[in-house]
Amino acid sequence: MEWQTLIDEPAVIAAAVLALGLVVGYLVGRLNKELLSASGVPDAVEGTPFERTAQSLGTSTVEIVARLSSWFIYGIAVLTAIHIAQLLDTDAFWFEVTQYLPQVFIAVLVLILGFIIADKAELIVSEYLRSVKLPEVSVIPRLVKYAVLYVAFLIALGQIGVYVLPLLILLAVIATGAVVVGTFAFKDFLVSSAAGIYLLLNQPYGIGDRIRIGDQAGIVQEVDLFVTKIEDDSEEYIVPNRKVFEEEIVRVRE
Amino acid sequence: MAGVDDVFGDIFSSVDAIMLFGPSGSYYERFTTGEDSDVVVVGTENDVGAETFVELPLEFDEVSERVRFGIEGALEQDVIDDGDDLACATSVFSDDIDTVSRVRADADAHTGIYDLFAKSRAEPAVIKSVLELAIELGKKGQKGKPVGALFIVGDAGKVMNKSRPLSYNPFEKSHVHVGDPIVNVMLKEFSRLDGAFVISDAGKLVSAYRYLEPSAEGVDIPKGLGARHMAGGAITRDTNAIAIVLSESDGLVRAFKAGELILEVDPEAY
Repeated sequence: MEWQTLIDEPAVIAAAVLALGLVVGYLVGRLNKELLSASGVPDAVEGTPFERTAQSLGTSTVEIVARLSSWFIYGIAVLTAIHIAQLLDTDAFWFEVTQYLPQVFIAVLVLILGFIIADKAELIVSEYLRSVKLPEVSVIPRLVKYAVLYVAFLIALGQIGVYVLPLLILLAVIATGAVVVGTFAFKDFLVSSAAGIYLLLNQPYGIGDRIRIGDQAGIVQEVDLFVTKIEDDSEEYIVPNRKVFEEEIVRVRE
Repeated sequence: MAGVDDVFGDIFSSVDAIMLFGPSGSYYERFTTGEDSDVVVVGTENDVGAETFVELPLEFDEVSERVRFGIEGALEQDVIDDGDDLACATSVFSDDIDTVSRVRADADAHTGIYDLFAKSRAEPAVIKSVLELAIELGKKGQKGKPVGALFIVGDAGKVMNKSRPLSYNPFEKSHVHVGDPIVNVMLKEFSRLDGAFVISDAGKLVSAYRYLEPSAEGVDIPKGLGARHMAGGAITRDTNAIAIVLSESDGLVRAFKAGELILEVDPEAY
């Protein structure tokens, strides 16, 4: 009979739950680690700054995620134990916490994922752009990284119930602003490059041809995406390619 | 051994500037911290982040060439003055600096070798890659046989008007630039074609198979060089282009500017 009363004692049940939680948490952590390792996550995250930071702290991305799931279960176990032991007898608190804990867990997970995806995206984009020999291009990978991070933060904040609508509006305003300013500022460049693509593909005139664009006449020295360089005896004209379409091209033949 | 210091000390005593050719980072550090005379770093790349730096277009194997180019570049950039005494520290036998020689900067002994890169119409990087290409081609030849090649770099519009095609232009409607990885292979294959390669200021391969028609009047190139060199040298007098010629007979790479022979390098030495 003594056993029975002992088992009915809330403190004992709470302790049992706590112990079980610790064991399950540890096992889930290990299992997660194995699963992540087996599914090639360490290879996928290799080289990202997040992983490097984790390495320098003596851990790794996989370990952090695994640890996180363990802590999540530890947390639940502790809370359940507290509830059973009736240390804090407030249903409202309990309700809040059960609502909140998974959300925090998901938010942290989303953040970690966001960091990794952002770093990875930066790497992939910069790899892709490597053949483009323009120093300014290095901005684009960074832009991609911060865009992904921003979205990850938004999702994470949304998860833990922060009111994200103003942030979303901010994002929309920045995006439209960038597009509008970009099209205004680079309008001529865009038009020129569109014309330049045609010129490069079709080559209506090539280097060495004598042409006239509007008032400028001479020998073509260079054709690139944005401009055509024409040179006569004393002057070299650098004509934006959009001009080539606005005024007609005359090929001068003797 | 005090006597050795006395005797060799003359070499670097009271110099106006020290020129370091391709120093390592720590070597350069020792100079900037301890020394109060000017230090000029010369090299293919500014690895040490030196303030005064003269870029070498090639890792000249011949020490005198290397030093001469460095001095000419430094004179051109006004980091040293005519008549300055210079201690030039460079490497001859090992990769580290092992030799110091005392040279007096002489603006009259101007060969234009620095101008060839820095003051030509075409971009220096383009000239550098074409030169490297010619050296590479001279070293390996085509399938082991020596080949000759003629590259006309810069002022492509004028060059095209002073030449005519020998056959279809393989680079018609292509957008290949010198320095693209594929170009070395392509040019190696095309080098058996007769005629000249024409390359624009920005490095675009405009044409192959060009027969150059400059007026060869007053072109002064060393006797014994053939038609290829004559054509290359002459076109640089008529236009603002430079010519980089790989000789089939003696395997040397020569560069012409304004009708004059500026640079002569042996590909085997690189």
